[in-house]
Amino acid sequence: MIECAGLQKIYQMGNVGVRALDGVSLTIGRGEFVGIMGASGSGKSTLLHMLGLLDVPTSGEITLDGIDVNTLNDYEKTMFRLYKLGYVFQDYALVPELTVAENVFLPAMLRSDRTDEEYTTATFDILDRIGLSDRRWHLPKELSGGEQQRVAIARAIVNRPDILFADEPCANLDTENSRRVLDLFEEINREMHQTIVMVSHEDWHKKYFDRIIRLRDGKIVEDNHALS
Amino acid sequence: MGKKELKVALFLAWRSLRRGSRSSAILTILIVGMCFTNMIFLPSLFAGIGQTIKTQIVDYEVGNVLVSPQAGEQYITDLDATLDLINSMPGVERATPHYSKGATLKYRQRILGSSIRAIRPTDEKSVSPIHTKMIAGSYLGESDTGEIIIGKIIAGDATVSQEDEFYSSLGGVRVGDSITVEFGNGYTKDYRVKGIYSTGWTSSDNSALITWSDMEIVEGESLDKAEYITIKTKPGYSEKFVKDMLMSYGVSPQVHTTDDLLSKAIGSVLQSFDIINMVSLIVSIIITTVVLFIVITIKTINSRKQIGILRAIGVQKEVIMHNYGFQVIILALFGIVLGIAIALLLALYLAYNPIVTPEWSAYMYLTPMDLVSNSLILLASAIVAGYVPAYQVSREEIQSSMRA
Repeated sequence: MIECAGLQKIYQMGNVGVRALDGVSLTIGRGEFVGIMGASGSGKSTLLHMLGLLDVPTSGEITLDGIDVNTLNDYEKTMFRLYKLGYVFQDYALVPELTVAENVFLPAMLRSDRTDEEYTTATFDILDRIGLSDRRWHLPKELSGGEQQRVAIARAIVNRPDILFADEPCANLDTENSRRVLDLFEEINREMHQTIVMVSHEDWHKKYFDRIIRLRDGKIVEDNHALS
Repeated sequence: MGKKELKVALFLAWRSLRRGSRSSAILTILIVGMCFTNMIFLPSLFAGIGQTIKTQIVDYEVGNVLVSPQAGEQYITDLDATLDLINSMPGVERATPHYSKGATLKYRQRILGSSIRAIRPTDEKSVSPIHTKMIAGSYLGESDTGEIIIGKIIAGDATVSQEDEFYSSLGGVRVGDSITVEFGNGYTKDYRVKGIYSTGWTSSDNSALITWSDMEIVEGESLDKAEYITIKTKPGYSEKFVKDMLMSYGVSPQVHTTDDLLSKAIGSVLQSFDIINMVSLIVSIIITTVVLFIVITIKTINSRKQIGILRAIGVQKEVIMHNYGFQVIILALFGIVLGIAIALLLALYLAYNPIVTPEWSAYMYLTPMDLVSNSLILLASAIVAGYVPAYQVSREEIQSSMRA
């Protein structure tokens, strides 16, 4: 499902090159719930952005679903993200002028294989599932942080992506809301066999992951199946 | 870029405008509306002035087409035959001759130099609307003799002293009064004032008219000649067509349309109007473009992170660009509608309350084509102003947008 080899990312800060990723190689199988953990600055978000086609590596190869994504042009990458990938960001990243339902079905609107009726039904089903169907016509600002993040998750899975990437989705939430969000991820992973790659620095999140990849200074220092 | 992508771009644009900052949207619409009004106001006012002048010149001076004597000649001779020929031409409603003679007008203690114009009242009525501008008495009849009609300026006002008059006058002549006219050839006659007219056109209101037969008495001969002939064209026929027809029949080599005469008489004035119009148009376009550019630039700068997120979730660059493009188009359209409404209200106001001067009265001469062409110009500048920042921001790397 996800393969990368010799992944390097060097950020140029003036004359100095900062190595954010230093030869990362890994393989993630379908249906895995993977946690990428590490201290701040260890390169975990950078790795997620490389795998999620939000940034390009300085060197190395990434293969998603058998496709060498380095060969894709900008438009193809956009289409790849639309059809195959889903994202949940730290700060929810909802469009403030769109209602909950509109935020959720926005990515589905762009897909040529979905009719208006199909994506509307899918949106309402997902909102029902995450317990926010009664808030579907509310604006994001009328929701709590936890509710907003659940909407962001709904948006990420409305297109039934092959891989769901989550970049510290609980960073702005209290423990109770974090638990609800993580429970939702776990439920999606178990019931829909959704591949999830999630970045986190909270130790207590470990119990949700099938597998933990720990980074330090841009290198993998631990890769195990924490719960198995 | 397919239909679906355009639909999403329009969806995002409309939602952003409906649920975004209302005051910013209203302010932008107001500015665009004002710029549109500015673009349309001065040119249409100048066009109105030009139109008024043209109408008055046509109505009270030269008609639609003017036939003058051949070069070196003082009169058009063989008048009746010439008039018959002209009146039989396609496109000619009616032709009427004019013959003027310098004279001194006397009324009580007042003496005024003027030019007395002879007309054929029946024909004149078909060409000039002076008969509809009588403010006292009545118009000349075809067989009237010893009667004269005079313009409001010549008649004057008895309540205004001679020193305070802007134009010299006879100091308050009324219908029925008798004025003495001493013609340049020494012929003197008392005329009863049959009517007083007021056209609003200075040179017309400063004139006096007698019948053709009266002028024949003054000249002591049958007048088969005229100084010039004015022609009213039939609706649907252009002045140029009638002029070409007259020239092809050899009526006279000196045939002029109103436009020919206007370009000679006030060509430089109209050219100045054009320059002012152009400056006003360019300034309006620049203001609109800059305002919309700033509005969209601020919007895109404030939304950089959101743009990054949208791109991350699979929204194409073009959708984002069109989103802002549509926003600016919608704002511009509302602004244009507002501008059209303001312009029409101003035009309506000025139609009932024209700016009046001694020489002309100004109203807004506004055609649907003016509204359409200015709308398109403004829309085009709005599109440029909106798409440039939208294009720039949509090209930014996802990561740098998201970090904003």
